[in-house]
Amino acid sequence: MNIKTIDLNYSSDYSKFVSFNYTKTFSVMQNRILSVGSTFPTFKKTAVVSIEKGKEFTEITSENIVNEDNQWTVMFWWPKDFTFVCPTEIAEFNNAFGDFRDRDTTLIGASTDSEFVHAAWRRDHEDLRGLKFPMLADTSKSLAEELGILEPVEKVALRATFIIDPQGVIRWVSVNDLNVGRNVKEVIRVLDALQTDELCPCNWEKGQETIHA
Amino acid sequence: MVQISETSAELIQLLRIENSTPEVLQILDNADSRYIRDLKVNVSNALTSAHISEKETALLALSIAANQKNNTLIAGFQKLADEKGATAEEQNEAISCASLLAGNNVFYRFRHFQQKESYNTMQAKIKMNIMMKPVLGKEFFELISLAVSAVNGCEMCVNAHEHSVREMGASEERVWDAIRLAAVITSLDKVIS
Repeated sequence: MNIKTIDLNYSSDYSKFVSFNYTKTFSVMQNRILSVGSTFPTFKKTAVVSIEKGKEFTEITSENIVNEDNQWTVMFWWPKDFTFVCPTEIAEFNNAFGDFRDRDTTLIGASTDSEFVHAAWRRDHEDLRGLKFPMLADTSKSLAEELGILEPVEKVALRATFIIDPQGVIRWVSVNDLNVGRNVKEVIRVLDALQTDELCPCNWEKGQETIHA
Repeated sequence: MVQISETSAELIQLLRIENSTPEVLQILDNADSRYIRDLKVNVSNALTSAHISEKETALLALSIAANQKNNTLIAGFQKLADEKGATAEEQNEAISCASLLAGNNVFYRFRHFQQKESYNTMQAKIKMNIMMKPVLGKEFFELISLAVSAVNGCEMCVNAHEHSVREMGASEERVWDAIRLAAVITSLDKVIS
């Protein structure tokens, strides 16, 4: 059992789109976040990839994450579609899409909203129409729950970001409180630091074993 | 058309150079150069190896030409690589390998010169992902890496790649032929631009 005490003091702005407004300290039930070294849970979810009719949806599974092509995954979560902090952040991830792509990294956005809500939001919001990455719909909340990122009261996902290596192992996690935005540059910096770079045997010194990539 | 010797004409044909006669060759030709004859024989021999296939030879030559930024030789060896059945991906990788290794030679040579614990342990922060699953296969990619490093004069890179390619199964004869080819193309680069 992992009991944490969290002091939540949301701004009035935030209370506009969430149905609660804490000012007191309260105890949270078990909320064990899957962390570095853990295998990313298996899942099979629908994701929105387009606003074009008939091409909106695709299926994403954990099998896409584990691969032999050295493809990494960054999965970032937000609490709710149709809120204010989210589109800014999502647009920022989208602007950096090429930075992830060229680092052999699949970018996946996710929330506990359904694929239909995702699709509606993408159509509705100017900044989201040109999104290049899939929006995963964890409608049953099973993945967010297994990841330990379900906010206990609202049962929505915290602003969590996971970097997962090609073997499906979580290599970095960052979790923000509901209304705290993320720094995409930091995610890229960490990704760069995690990805093996010195594959060249020039790095080899006599007596060392050869590097096997 | 400028008058050139038969030897020069044959050399140009070997290198698949079309529509132009390199100027330096003309200078050498004017005085009936014995060197051109040596060079032609060296090129002809280097392009024929019992330990490196014709396709590999063309790709290795292409890679060294790219390392020397020699557009005339690059175009010629591309043609030769096409003839020998090398795919666009393989030619692409031969050129990419030269580009990456040229950088690595600078980078690691610095480390080797310095031999400081600090520089040896700092992260390189240079992406080398094409080394992971080369379409050319690891062994041949290593062989090209070795040849490029030899041309660029990085002692420890040469030692490291020689060790590595031999571990991957290359014979010393194969290594030797690759180095000879790299050397001869470096010679070519001085007279054909």
